[in-house]
Amino acid sequence: MKMTKIYEGTHQWIMFGRDENKPVNIIDSNQYAVRTANRCLLLEPGGSELFAPMMAAVLHHAPVEQITDLFASHQDPDVISSLGLWDQALSNAKLHAPAIWESFLRHFGCESIEYVPIPDNGGTIKLESVELQLIPAHYLHSSGNFHVYDPQARILMSGDVGSALEAPGAPMFVENFDLHIEKMRYFHQRWMPSNQAKRAWIERVRNLDIDILAPQHGRIFKGNDVKRFLDWFDALQVGIAV
Amino acid sequence: MNNQTKSQFVAVASITSELSAVMVVAKEISLAAANAKAIAFRAGDKAKGFQPITDFINELAKETIELVTSINVYALSLYQLTVNEYRKTIAYNKFELVVKIAKDAPYAQSMQPPLEHAKLSMELCQRQFKRDVKQLLDQLEAVMHHARAARVIAANSRIEASQAGEYLQSLQAVAESVDKAAHTIHDNVQRCRIALSLYRNS
Repeated sequence: MKMTKIYEGTHQWIMFGRDENKPVNIIDSNQYAVRTANRCLLLEPGGSELFAPMMAAVLHHAPVEQITDLFASHQDPDVISSLGLWDQALSNAKLHAPAIWESFLRHFGCESIEYVPIPDNGGTIKLESVELQLIPAHYLHSSGNFHVYDPQARILMSGDVGSALEAPGAPMFVENFDLHIEKMRYFHQRWMPSNQAKRAWIERVRNLDIDILAPQHGRIFKGNDVKRFLDWFDALQVGIAV
Repeated sequence: MNNQTKSQFVAVASITSELSAVMVVAKEISLAAANAKAIAFRAGDKAKGFQPITDFINELAKETIELVTSINVYALSLYQLTVNEYRKTIAYNKFELVVKIAKDAPYAQSMQPPLEHAKLSMELCQRQFKRDVKQLLDQLEAVMHHARAARVIAANSRIEASQAGEYLQSLQAVAESVDKAAHTIHDNVQRCRIALSLYRNS
């Protein structure tokens, strides 16, 4: 599992992904950690197949007992089917996930971890002095969906929005936006069901000060590529399967 | 999932299925008892010896139904235990892998408590499973005992039926149906016992 520090300030953001030992028939996914002095939040901790390499990678940054929080943007298996394993590994942790998915996500096993349901209008996660905002992103693509915005680091972890279907070992960051478009077009057209939801999200996100847009699959957008992505997504017709 | 785990799931699930068949048969015995009682009543003195037997048959059917109901609850909890054991084993194996992959990580040592806890939980489930299997086998033995008793009653019924004159055929049919039901119960329960006995000492 590769590890890339994408922000270092009063706290850190670390991206995990491109696991070389991942079975070939499962989609590659990006996991993120927000590390403060004594706590660690894992965003989109991943599928059960990825648990061991992910946990092993996290142990380079935090001890198990300081992994106090998990976040799942929505209910998909590549996002959080590892929940039952984290549940047995962590003795004092919370899972922040959409309220509407609680009884569904508990199928993965959630006995010792406290489920903190995120209401439809969003909320915050407080990690020592860091306050992260939970931005509603419903129907992008899941009916109950949130993204995580860090105003201090100016990072938006955007779940499936901004994702791309890439060849194994793709670079961590978008290097040429125009060339990157074709890697993400079908994903957004097919997985995102609602133009109305897309517009509402873009309007909300344009008001945020974002340096890094970090999706759950594919490459991370930096600087001007964030605005380029929002403009491109704004113009894209989604929900093409009907 | 390895082959042994698969077989364990199948064995536990098959008990519920076999027992639901036993339940159907026990209800049939109960019906046969009611039928026999009515015939014996009509036969009067000719079936005097048959009348108390009908009460035995009915009582036996009732007890079998109660026993199977309680075993079914037990079998379901055994299934849940199998699921738990499976989850704990997966966790333990994954945690072992984490320790292996993370050996150079600065915080690798912090994985030891979860690893030890997972190991203990897994072993606890395995011991509990063996204990529960043994108890379930004991309960199944009690059902077998009922089935054997039903066959004895069926044999007695045949003797009593032979003295019931024109009611002979009807009462013999009752005896036959009790005997057949007892056989079915015996066979089904025996299959449960064979499936489970593999895990008593595994």
